[in-house]
Amino acid sequence: MIQRLLISAFIIAVFIGICLVPPAQPKLSQHPRFTKITQDGKTLSPWQGPWACVHDTQNQLLWEVKTDNETIHDGYWTYSWFNGAQGKENFGDCYFEPNRCDTQDLIRRTNEQALCGLTQWRLPSAQELSSLIQDPASPAYPYIANDFFVHIKKGDYWSADHSQPLSKQYRQGGDGATAINFHFGKSYTLPYRNAAFVMLVADLPAANTSPQLSRRELITQQKQE
Amino acid sequence: MKTFMERQTFIVLHILAIVTIIGSMLTGFRISLVSQDWLAAISVLLPQGAIHTWHLGFAVGLTLLVIAYTGYSLRAPFRSYPSIYHKIINYLGYISICLIVLSGWAVWANFHSHYARSIHQVAMWLMVSYFVLHAWIYILQKGRGVFGAILPKRLKLMHGAITLCLVILGLFIHTFTVNTSHQLEVQTMADTVFIEIDGKATEAQWQSAPTYTVTTIGGANFDNGSTEVSIKALANQYETYFLISWQDKSKSTNHLPLLKTDNGWQVQENGFYRFDERTFYEDKFAVMLSDGCEIAGDNTYHSGSKPIKNKPKNWHGKGYHASLDGKVRDLWHWKAVRTNDMYLADDNFIGPPSEHLKGKRRYSAGYQADGKESGAYVMNWQWYSSQGVSPKRLPMDPQSHQAVLPWFGSKPYQHQQDTYPIGTLLPSVLYRSNRFEGDRADVRARGEWHDGRWTLELVRKHNTQSKYDIPLQTGTCMWVSAFDHAQIAHTRHIKAIKLRYAL
Repeated sequence: MIQRLLISAFIIAVFIGICLVPPAQPKLSQHPRFTKITQDGKTLSPWQGPWACVHDTQNQLLWEVKTDNETIHDGYWTYSWFNGAQGKENFGDCYFEPNRCDTQDLIRRTNEQALCGLTQWRLPSAQELSSLIQDPASPAYPYIANDFFVHIKKGDYWSADHSQPLSKQYRQGGDGATAINFHFGKSYTLPYRNAAFVMLVADLPAANTSPQLSRRELITQQKQE
Repeated sequence: MKTFMERQTFIVLHILAIVTIIGSMLTGFRISLVSQDWLAAISVLLPQGAIHTWHLGFAVGLTLLVIAYTGYSLRAPFRSYPSIYHKIINYLGYISICLIVLSGWAVWANFHSHYARSIHQVAMWLMVSYFVLHAWIYILQKGRGVFGAILPKRLKLMHGAITLCLVILGLFIHTFTVNTSHQLEVQTMADTVFIEIDGKATEAQWQSAPTYTVTTIGGANFDNGSTEVSIKALANQYETYFLISWQDKSKSTNHLPLLKTDNGWQVQENGFYRFDERTFYEDKFAVMLSDGCEIAGDNTYHSGSKPIKNKPKNWHGKGYHASLDGKVRDLWHWKAVRTNDMYLADDNFIGPPSEHLKGKRRYSAGYQADGKESGAYVMNWQWYSSQGVSPKRLPMDPQSHQAVLPWFGSKPYQHQQDTYPIGTLLPSVLYRSNRFEGDRADVRARGEWHDGRWTLELVRKHNTQSKYDIPLQTGTCMWVSAFDHAQIAHTRHIKAIKLRYAL
């Protein structure tokens, strides 16, 4: 009887011990391609924020992250396509310019600001931009990694590819530029005067040319995580 | 000459009883854990997944065993000579099994389920006591010899036949009970009748519409976790209107307010970090629609901290909503702060488990919003942290006290302009526009709270043609849930309510 009591006590103790182990929390895991970067150029884990840029390890680029704070990076602002020589000036809508906005305005202001420590911001190529297209996790989301690229609208985003022939209905306007539509995940050629959204991109400096960010430093930081 | 039950027959019935009772207890504890946090410690020992279906299966099995054993005993009782102690304990077993079976079926049938649930829980603890006092004491007394007494030795074909009959009958009854439903008559009205969606229900048509009342149980903050929900429905050629009313002592619109403290702005919360806020939250109401009528929301509820294979754990350990059969269920989610002033319910759906986004801390499996063209509410913080937040916007008029901050009645937050005194409260909800546009805006709704009761009017087209909506027609099944300032801890009922149109 004593032996049975001891075995029973042991079994109960094991059960209580199992129950007292704190439950494991959901696990954080790194995204295979994207890393959040703060305004100061520091890397964040996927569950941290806020972040101003996204490091794209596939293309070795830094993407501008849109906001809803009415700064120059607000995701609601639209721009006509203009590169200083070609395109249509000031045909988009924003609050940060005395006149209306074009893509050159956002590039200039972002470089002046040195977003995420970089000053070589530019329009992405159509290939770079279309590499972001992915199926949405929910019908409410656009065709992009919505967890890293927040405030992306279901609309057209300008690329740098220009002097493209327009489709029949726009042909009277001459050439246009390629835009990627994140509502459908497709690319279109649009007249320069169209108001479309913009997400800028910057090439990562090879090493140590930027005080905060370099390709080598980012890779090292990711390995440490 | 009186005949007696054979020992081997008793042993077979006893084994079946052990299996069904242990199954009922394990699945029952998992169901209890959804609304009783103190049971969380035993979560690791409990099964996960579509547990209601299993619980009902064990309930059917136990009921059949009670009937079979009682019927058999009347004809040929089992002769045994237990000690007085075990005789008394056996009576505890008989009482607890009868109470568990009767109260369980009462909850299932919506028959005084508020009381039945309490009795069911008491009976469950009686059963646990019986299990310990009966089985454990026998094991202490007899050691390994107990297995000799409860395991069969000379089985006859008849024993296999009894078991097979019980299993087949059980499966048949289970299939039937899993799919049974209550019924709500949808009253027809002329196309010319105008029903204003104002939460007041002043139209004469509502007075004559039949009412179905369901007791929903297991929610946070309601008295004993329960509230009675009354439902009426009207339909014209194009749309169906619902009038839903439920008891809620307090009108809760204090939704995660931002409080200025010595350490900056903090979100007032009590569980929001693990997505299970139960204090600083708005009242809500949910209606689920499906073309199937299985219990537990047409089998879309999966309990436990990691109930879906290859999908992440949840933070609260309560489970996920998802359609593992791939079908879509419609979910209307009315929110007293976030959607009420839009005169909308958030048109959502329950679909297959979504992809896990690594950049998001919360994973919601199959619970997702329909697509929208534009319009939204957003939270008034730049990034949520339990350590503190920066507000996204400040009111134009610092003296204004609103549950919702309108985008165009506010300005972007700037640290230099933050001269608000400590103790200031700010709304956490910002309306970017006055309503959603698109698929997500298919359900118009307005709720009004008066004298301890919410009254909610909803209307939607019979068929929106959206692949994320379920058509409203005869045979469509619905479930309702009330939230009393709780994020996820909602009330529920087991059986579906099937719509029946006269049109």
